[in-house]
Amino acid sequence: MTPGAWVTRRWCGAAAAALALVTLPPAAAAAQPVRPSPAPQLVKPSPAPHAGSVEVSGGVVFTGRMDLGARDAEETRNINTGSGPFALFSSASSVPAAPAAVVRAGVYLSRALAVEGGLQYGRARLVSALSGDAEQAPSLSAEETLTRYLIEGTVVVNLTPLSFGGGRGVPFLSGGGGYLRELHEENALIATGREYHAGAGVKFWMSRSAPHLGLRADVGVSMRSGGIDLTSTRRTLPTAAVSLVYLF
Amino acid sequence: MSRRAALLLTLALVAGTVAPAQAYLKLGARVGTRTLTLKWPAMPIRYFVTDRGVPGVTSLQLQQTVSKAFATWDAVPTAAVSSQFVGFTGAGPRGGDGITVIGFDNRPELDRTLGATSFLVDTISGDIVEADIFLNSAFAWSVAAQGDPGGFDLESIALHEIGHLHGLAHSALGETELRAGGRRVLAAEAVMFPIAFSPGSIALRSLRADDIAGISDLYPAAGFSRQTGSISGTVTKNATGVLGAHIVAFNPRTGKLVGGFSLQNDGTFVIAGLEPGPQVLRVEPLDDADIDSFLDLTLGVDVDFRVKFYEKLVVVPRGGGATRIVLKVLPK
Repeated sequence: MTPGAWVTRRWCGAAAAALALVTLPPAAAAAQPVRPSPAPQLVKPSPAPHAGSVEVSGGVVFTGRMDLGARDAEETRNINTGSGPFALFSSASSVPAAPAAVVRAGVYLSRALAVEGGLQYGRARLVSALSGDAEQAPSLSAEETLTRYLIEGTVVVNLTPLSFGGGRGVPFLSGGGGYLRELHEENALIATGREYHAGAGVKFWMSRSAPHLGLRADVGVSMRSGGIDLTSTRRTLPTAAVSLVYLF
Repeated sequence: MSRRAALLLTLALVAGTVAPAQAYLKLGARVGTRTLTLKWPAMPIRYFVTDRGVPGVTSLQLQQTVSKAFATWDAVPTAAVSSQFVGFTGAGPRGGDGITVIGFDNRPELDRTLGATSFLVDTISGDIVEADIFLNSAFAWSVAAQGDPGGFDLESIALHEIGHLHGLAHSALGETELRAGGRRVLAAEAVMFPIAFSPGSIALRSLRADDIAGISDLYPAAGFSRQTGSISGTVTKNATGVLGAHIVAFNPRTGKLVGGFSLQNDGTFVIAGLEPGPQVLRVEPLDDADIDSFLDLTLGVDVDFRVKFYEKLVVVPRGGGATRIVLKVLPK
């Protein structure tokens, strides 16, 4: 496909077919009686990024639940009163799945390769479920609100040979790393950490009336160390994002 | 400035009596309308050991065990405490002679007291002038490395009494059950819990987070206050302050427990020396030992309320405090 030219629609694989069906004008479902094939349609092309093209996007990213582990409030047991530590109560902590806003800006190094930087901002809850009190304190979940920032850098590989819908749909792979900054409630304490992510997604450019505007969907995993982590281990969290994209 | 001294007696472990505490873990002395925090004005603490042993424990073993217990406190990195064994003495652990003495004394009339610490204090400044620890030879003692069911572990008891000697009061971090003949400890998470473990137990030869927070709050090493934080607030019942509530801070990351008390009529409390980060708060009445093991009975301690958790995680800032926490409890 040539940038800026009018081209005929072409099919790129079975997966693309389904999407194309949605965007194409309804075709004749039955071929009776036989009618002449319609003339090739000319449609406005998808925007074709090139080296130096700039792309910005903004949307929402959902980060999956982070299990921070369980720990008992233990006291040292006197001899002859049972075995193992005495559990005053039990706690199980987690950060439930939460949405965050995400903005990204990227530049194409070639038609297939782009680098981008992004910022995620969101609020999440740190929850400790308290139960099993030795003196029958009612069980409850103690919570606080976290503010999360993630500054990320990502390499995006656009799989242009797999594009579909006349080039309007472009799958991509992505991977990168970031700096995680999480603030406890009222900014009482800041926890920082590192983040690595990998994923895949698709960009789908809008209709001919807005050829530079598109939708972007990402799914992936986010591997985090540091930050709010009660067990000091690395965590792998699922992520999913939906964004609006604009290509300059 | 004229100074006068007063002898204060702190009985530890069983049916003990402590002076009213000024803060959550510190010993205090009420002088007139003032409450003084008892504290050594200078380090090292110089002490003597009596040259008398008891069956199963020689005077040398007593000295070695006491020195080991002192060294355990001295090793707390966040506290600026140190000690020095001066020598053996024929003097008993009685107050008023100007020297700090630790030794056995036969006190059969104190049939529920394993040991006690007495102080000579400057009633102007609260400085400890002299402190003496007596260990009751009416009980059987053990210095066996792995403990001996036939005697109370001398190192554990000495560690507790030396905590008093430094100026620490009792901790309420423990659970007990009432049985014929008195209370039995089920568990404790502080060397400074007032009731001893059973003979043969050596489990409390090492300090716990609560003990470390207390000694570090009393004698902070450089940087301690910058590296730790505090939680303060009030305990209320029917919109009125609760005096004598026991508040426990639990760190869900480390599992450490540190306790404190509400010590004013308005229910205010402070727990200092906490690691930064989220903490779970739990409040309970003082019902796991005799109240006068912790606080002066004349204060009017309220134990008529239910145990509960605070609804929020409290985040302790580094070098600061989480303030204005309100723990609302319900009557039983």
